[in-house]
Amino acid sequence: MRIVVKPDPSEPRRVVDEVERFCVEHALSQNIIFRFQLSLDELLTNIISYGFEGATEDPVITVDIRLGDADIEITIRDNGQPFNPLEDAEIPDLSLAAEDRPIGGLGIHLTKSFIDTLAYERVEGFNCLTLTQPLGAAGSEESPDEH
Amino acid sequence: MNIETSYSGDTAVGVVSGRVDSSNAKDFDGELSGIIDGGATNLVLDCGSLRYISSAGLRALLIAIRKTNQAGGGLALCHVPENILEVLEVSGFVRLTKVFETVEEAQASFK
Repeated sequence: MRIVVKPDPSEPRRVVDEVERFCVEHALSQNIIFRFQLSLDELLTNIISYGFEGATEDPVITVDIRLGDADIEITIRDNGQPFNPLEDAEIPDLSLAAEDRPIGGLGIHLTKSFIDTLAYERVEGFNCLTLTQPLGAAGSEESPDEH
Repeated sequence: MNIETSYSGDTAVGVVSGRVDSSNAKDFDGELSGIIDGGATNLVLDCGSLRYISSAGLRALLIAIRKTNQAGGGLALCHVPENILEVLEVSGFVRLTKVFETVEEAQASFK
């Protein structure tokens, strides 16, 4: 399934709702739904807020969902500025007190923590980030014994 | 997102429901600030009906923690669903605020 996303701040919530509907239709766990909701809100908000600063081309953002036998994959593509969240995002200092904590910088950190596998590539002017989550209820510790 | 607030003395209890994400984190911030600026130095947030909170919501929570600290009080959470507790752990927020099982325990922590 493909969702076309407009560069509008109201869009992450709509996408999150569509992904939830897809997951419920396919009887996926609440745990998986929660992880994708959180990550998609973070990643799409980043792209819409910062990805197209100074861009000359019209923004194109898509979200593709692919359900396999053992996992579910969601790929976010955008033609904004090259940004690899796995390398370009700052790592927040979680040991700081409330008064010293910077406001922000947690979104990518949460996504990395909540999604089992993340893969980034820049393809023909598009950032492509694929989020993969195993269908096993408990997440990463599930692995099939055969094949 | 909705917050239903009740007061006893200088402690406010806010029952948060729905989701706090990038689209409504500003409203969440505004509601929490309103409660604290209205004179509640201690704030308990009952998260039993909170579906999720993203980093934008955590920012609002951080501001509320700072404000209650500055006022000489504090912010405590209770009834936190497992997934949201994981968000608080991963983001380091369990060090910034206390998490309790019940409203009563959270209220008692301020005495």
